[in-house]
Amino acid sequence: MSSGAAAVAGTFARLQPRGIPGFILRRIVLGIVTLFLVSIVVFAATQTLPGDTARAILGRTATPDSLAALRKQLNLDEPAVKQYTHWLGGFARGDFGHSRVGTNPPVTEVIGKRLENSAVLVLIAGLISTPLAIALGAVSARRRDGPFDHAASITMLTLAALPEFVLGIAFVVLLGTTVFTVLPAVSLIPPGDSPWSHPRELILPVLTLIVAVCPYTARIMRASMVEVLESDYVEMARLKGIREQRVVWRHAVPNAIAPTIQVTALNLAYLAGGIVVVEYVFGYAGIGSGLVDAVHNRDVPVVQALAMLIAAVYIVLNVIADVAAILVSPRLRTSLQ
Amino acid sequence: MRRARTGVDYKHTEAGGLTREELLKRAAVGGGAILVGGSLAGVARGATDALEATAPKRGGTFRIGVSGGSAKDFIDGQNIVTRPDQARIVTGWETLVVFDSQFKLKFDGLAEEIEANKKADVWTIRVHDGIEFHNGKTLGAADVRYSLQRLINKKLGLFGGAALQSVDPARIKKLDKRTVRCTLKQADGTILDALGQYIAGIVPVGYSPTAVGKAKPNIGTGPYKVQSFTPGQQSVHVRNPNYWRTGQPYFDKVVIIDFPDDTARVNALLGGQVDAITDVPPAQVAIVNGHSGTKVLESPSAAWTPICMRVDAPPFNDVRVRQAMRLIADRPQMVAQALSGHGHIGNDLYAPFDESYAKSLPQRHQDIEKAKSLLKAAGQSNLTVDLQSTNGALGMNEGAQVFAQQAKAAGVTVNVKILDSGAFYGDQYLKWSFSTDFWGSRNYLSQVAAGSVPTAPYNETHWPDSAHQKFLSLYNQARVTANRKKQAKILLDMQTMEYDAGGYIVWGFSTLLDGYATKVKGLKTGDKGVLPLNAFGHGYRTIWFG
Repeated sequence: MSSGAAAVAGTFARLQPRGIPGFILRRIVLGIVTLFLVSIVVFAATQTLPGDTARAILGRTATPDSLAALRKQLNLDEPAVKQYTHWLGGFARGDFGHSRVGTNPPVTEVIGKRLENSAVLVLIAGLISTPLAIALGAVSARRRDGPFDHAASITMLTLAALPEFVLGIAFVVLLGTTVFTVLPAVSLIPPGDSPWSHPRELILPVLTLIVAVCPYTARIMRASMVEVLESDYVEMARLKGIREQRVVWRHAVPNAIAPTIQVTALNLAYLAGGIVVVEYVFGYAGIGSGLVDAVHNRDVPVVQALAMLIAAVYIVLNVIADVAAILVSPRLRTSLQ
Repeated sequence: MRRARTGVDYKHTEAGGLTREELLKRAAVGGGAILVGGSLAGVARGATDALEATAPKRGGTFRIGVSGGSAKDFIDGQNIVTRPDQARIVTGWETLVVFDSQFKLKFDGLAEEIEANKKADVWTIRVHDGIEFHNGKTLGAADVRYSLQRLINKKLGLFGGAALQSVDPARIKKLDKRTVRCTLKQADGTILDALGQYIAGIVPVGYSPTAVGKAKPNIGTGPYKVQSFTPGQQSVHVRNPNYWRTGQPYFDKVVIIDFPDDTARVNALLGGQVDAITDVPPAQVAIVNGHSGTKVLESPSAAWTPICMRVDAPPFNDVRVRQAMRLIADRPQMVAQALSGHGHIGNDLYAPFDESYAKSLPQRHQDIEKAKSLLKAAGQSNLTVDLQSTNGALGMNEGAQVFAQQAKAAGVTVNVKILDSGAFYGDQYLKWSFSTDFWGSRNYLSQVAAGSVPTAPYNETHWPDSAHQKFLSLYNQARVTANRKKQAKILLDMQTMEYDAGGYIVWGFSTLLDGYATKVKGLKTGDKGVLPLNAFGHGYRTIWFG
């Protein structure tokens, strides 16, 4: 290696921060690069949707006159590369552009309310399902091969095998329409209202989401708890005469939780993009149903904004999960020093 | 998850086939009720007894869940694209004349009188005195002129304009405060039918609700005013206290909610979160009827979802192949399976509500042996074809799939390709050699004009083929034949040609299925279905909470 190259490498090494802050910084930079690559894929994908926007909007009722009028209104004739750079530039400045349908409202206006609605759903579902799953997994592992563990395992496997729409419809039949009519069967949040002011409407979709994601986390937690409970340090703690309750919650759980954090992050990310089915079943106006609608209408700016948003949620949650996993496990933490 | 059927056929209120003679007679009647179309044929006439006989009551908020809908929804007194658009247009906008529940044209709209001259090329329209728009402005001649000009403005591409092409925008003259005179480009006997379409609403001068950046208050003369509207979600309409029909409407508010998902829509009705829904999926009819407090309203319609064969492209350019395909169809089975029995079988002819419908032609039945021999004669034994379809209206995909099963018996392999609607109605639309499509209720000549002549906007089958060019001269003749009997004879000849050699497999007509809570009064069973739920309770003004 020439001395020049060595100098450059040295500078780079000096510029590369070490320790946990450095790790976080590197993950953020990587995240931005990923997001940029995603933007190319998203843009390319939206360009290959069959049929053009004007046709998609007018459908069967399109006439040559109305098609021409709409195409002109939407500026559909610009070259793709120009459209991409224009969009990316706007995106970097926080300008998502304007929707192509209706009265061309800004994209932020179209997705803003939906974003709030979906975020509320995901947040509540995440806040309830994560501790619930960890507790279920820990208790199952603690009572391994006992009746509780067997019952929980079978129930979890069954629920994990059911698609969300089946769960959703089952809950609706049970609690909304046929057996008991105690809860609203569909979750209509009037435009302009906050979802927080309609708690009853949130119960069934949140319940469906919890039941849909809980089994995965709980099973991972159980597996990793089983492993930890058989480890030497847990044995040691027990031999020292520490109460079992304390052994489990103070010594075992913190060590079993690292893999669970990763799964929880993936689950939350899944919720962000995957609640589309639940939103559909309950007629809930969130980003999932917004995305389906936008794809159907070939409303490219809205599709792009939502796809980028969901990708960003994935990346951010993964970064947080990685960092959290390192912070909770001493072995990984020290290896970074 | 299933996307709702949002099949909307905006021209289904047309009732063509009028003779000039009748028209003039009708014009002379003035304010009285007028008859179009005559009796129906082919489709069972339902009982029209009222479901109840209580006196209407004021008050309440009526919530309706409508199939389809998306961010592309809009409210425009003269235009619709989605099903919720249809549900919304009737809240605030009214036409000069109206079609009644039996598909007959009536002077029960904004016009007091519409008169034509002898040649039917000059029409005089006078509106009622004292009708007000939502902002208090009185409806006058200038508004009628503006409405007609806006409808036919090509730049706006409004669907209602297509049927009014003979109107000359430069020659609509204001005679007095309430009267305009239209001098047409050429004589046109279908003007009244075009004015009766629900998308030919009368709007105030300057109306442009969807013009970007210069939207005006979205007002009409109808029973409800728009209070709020979020495309793809819901709209709220409040009672118009100055409505011109005394006593109506009965509700304080109407809330129209989009439900693209069939299951969610039905659940909303069963759970009591809405008072009515459109388009109950056939498979859920028993559930809605079996649930206490909800019922399904069935309205026979002349809406059809044909399988279309292009008469000018192989293999269907050979008439024997077309005949074989028509003989393959087991129509009762198709109606039973594709429409879950909620419909009537077809005979490869459209427009069963038309009084000239060719009842005399024998009902076609499945005949696999004959189909096989026709295919053999055409050199197309073991034929394999792709059938393009999309989820445009109930019966399209289902009909295609049942047909593909039936075709196996004749050695024909039909590969059903279900496309996204954007792809189906893309550049290849009207070019597919074998595809499905959907049409609303229409009378015969209007339907021919819309789909069975080269000048038609949606001629999927490219009918007539070179061997049946006579169809065109018959069509032109029928349009100008004043004598009803002579015209009927020509229409029978035209239908016979299509029956023998046409490109459509018309296997059935669907029944409109809408759900309602039994506390909703004023709906009628057996009304001819053009718009769902008895035309949305005739604009939400003839229904009420009991």
